[in-house]
Amino acid sequence: MAFLEISSLSKFFGNLCILDDIDLSIERGEFVVFVGPSGCGKSTLLRIISGLEEITSGTITIEGEVMNDIEPAKRGTAMVFQSYALYPHMTIFQNVSFGLRMARKPRDFIAERVRQVSSILQLDKLLDRRPAQLSGGQKQRVAIGRAIVREPRVFLFDEPLSNLDAELRVQMRAELMELHRRLGTTMIYVTHDQVEAMTLADKMVVMNGGRIQQAGAPLALYDDPDNRFVAGFVGSPRMNFLPARLAAAESQGVRLEGIGGFGTATLPLPGLAAAPGPVEIGVRPEHLHLLSDGADEEGLVLEGEVTLVEELGAESFVHMDLADGTHVTVRAGRGAARPAGRIRVRPDLSRALLFGSDGQRLRAGDGRKV
Amino acid sequence: MSRATIVFRRITVWTVLKWALALIVAAIAIFPIWWMINVVFALPGEPVSLNPRLWPSSLSAGIEKIRMIFMETEYLRAYGISVVYALLTIAGVLLIGSLAAFEFSLFDFPGRRLLFGIVMLSLMVPTAVTIIPTYLLTSRLGWLNTMQGLVVPGLASAFGLFMLVQFMRAIPKDMIEAARLDGANHLQIYWHVALPLCRNALVTLAILTFMQTWGNYMWPLVISTRPEMYTVGQVVGLFNSPLSHHTVDTVMTANLLAAVPPLLFFLIFQRKIVEGIAMSGTKG
Ligand SMILES: Nc1ncnc2c1ncn2[C@@H]1O[C@H](COP(=O)(O)OP(=O)(O)OP(=O)(O)O)[C@@H](O)[C@H]1O
Ligand SMILES: [Mg+2]
Repeated sequence: MAFLEISSLSKFFGNLCILDDIDLSIERGEFVVFVGPSGCGKSTLLRIISGLEEITSGTITIEGEVMNDIEPAKRGTAMVFQSYALYPHMTIFQNVSFGLRMARKPRDFIAERVRQVSSILQLDKLLDRRPAQLSGGQKQRVAIGRAIVREPRVFLFDEPLSNLDAELRVQMRAELMELHRRLGTTMIYVTHDQVEAMTLADKMVVMNGGRIQQAGAPLALYDDPDNRFVAGFVGSPRMNFLPARLAAAESQGVRLEGIGGFGTATLPLPGLAAAPGPVEIGVRPEHLHLLSDGADEEGLVLEGEVTLVEELGAESFVHMDLADGTHVTVRAGRGAARPAGRIRVRPDLSRALLFGSDGQRLRAGDGRKV
Repeated sequence: MSRATIVFRRITVWTVLKWALALIVAAIAIFPIWWMINVVFALPGEPVSLNPRLWPSSLSAGIEKIRMIFMETEYLRAYGISVVYALLTIAGVLLIGSLAAFEFSLFDFPGRRLLFGIVMLSLMVPTAVTIIPTYLLTSRLGWLNTMQGLVVPGLASAFGLFMLVQFMRAIPKDMIEAARLDGANHLQIYWHVALPLCRNALVTLAILTFMQTWGNYMWPLVISTRPEMYTVGQVVGLFNSPLSHHTVDTVMTANLLAAVPPLLFFLIFQRKIVEGIAMSGTKG
């Protein structure tokens, strides 16, 4: 059994289903990130793990022990809130030591623990101040200190960096990674920033509409998404989806027509048994290549009108509209000439993904029907 | 440029008017008290004329009157009773009010809105309506002429609850949850988090309660019929009564002494009162 195990968990507020049949296992020491659009239930799931929210059905176990009816403080979890939730009337020392004082630990022990924690987080010089006298980043560190000092089994972070400015966010992200390396404690982290998720996560859990869409290593999700939602959510700029029609599934691959309005191609998906019907081809911006004028036109080539070019220095993103109105983003190197007017791009079909009309991924060898 | 000119420049007609108005209001408010002081600190023989003397004329005569009132009448005991009455009421109102406000503002329980509505409704019922039922209840309990009879009916302060609820509502839910995760139990959250965060409101409520209790005349009058349980208000009332054999300046001394504690209270806590009303307590 995994370190932290969530099985068939559901959560209702009134008769509104917020979390629907969640199954998740988390290993000891893993850095797990919940991502998903606003309102998909990330915070609710985190709060359920912390014990602040009750479970409607299902179970949560930590180290084999069922947590459903265990009080929040006794679960060995510690939470860092987006709002920091520091106690404004207490000094930083009192804030950090609050949990230990509630647990009636001896004075010397408390002083020693707070000293250790504040040296890890560089809070030493701030201990006598009050939260109102700290900057955002410092408040964040105090909030983390308050969690660390209790030596929890699991850290829970709910969008801890979203109140910080971009630069500080990158810095705190690095500090969090360092902290995780140093403490080796299991961390569960909620964000709706997928860059944050990709950089921090050992395991990334993509949620939508109260369900886990897919869980796995960030790159596994990037390269091999289970459905259109995950494919579109992970990666920035997002994956391009080209509408097409599945004409026939043959043994070497599937024949597609009407790609972007006119193209035909065969995707190398041997053994995929699927009935003809509308599908979508997913191609990442980096798997589309600009064709220079007069280049050979073998295979699938998409032609369209440039609408916008974003120059980012090392790379640029070209936005174009195909004949059927499909919007496509192409990642281009730093070319001599800025693309303009009508351009042609070639998708790398060996990296293209196929999605059925229900949004599910169609993989090689899949026996399911569209 | 010197400082004086800067100040001088800022004085406009508007400033002058404002100051004049403030001074007039202050004079009107202060004058009765000042007159009281004049009458007290004057020789007993001096007639209390209607054209007011503007200065006290005899310090020793005033002190003698005060001594007389404290030593030769029931005044001192009444003073003690009033102080105990006020302090117990303050303690009770703060404790009960803050506990109730804690539950009403930060937690959900069945019937919360209804209960709160009923309590708030009681704000709109004048004392004159409730005083007889309250009296009957208190007398059935056998609490006539007792301290608990004086104090207990005043402990449930709907106004205090309302004020504290407003303050506690401003406490972020996250903070309460953080405390829960930190292992604080319900009462510890109340004591270590909610209470300190509405300290200003508590101070204000304490002061308002003091003022109200000290000046409460009606309830003691009904409940304490025996002279041993008279409050300052009642004793002063005796001095003032038509059958009183005290001279006007003695009566005035009694009045002045009764007015001293609330005055002191206000002067000391004036800033706190204003602050408490102005701030919502959890900034920062
Ligand atoms: N106490 C509650 N009562 C009723 N509905 C709630 C409650 N708390 C949350 N919800 C609903 O549950 C859903 C999920 O909320 P949750 O806070 O978990 O979303 P989230 O994924 O954290 O979103 P965000 O990224 O905006 O923080 C939302 O639709 C929200 O309206
Ligand atoms: Mg959230």
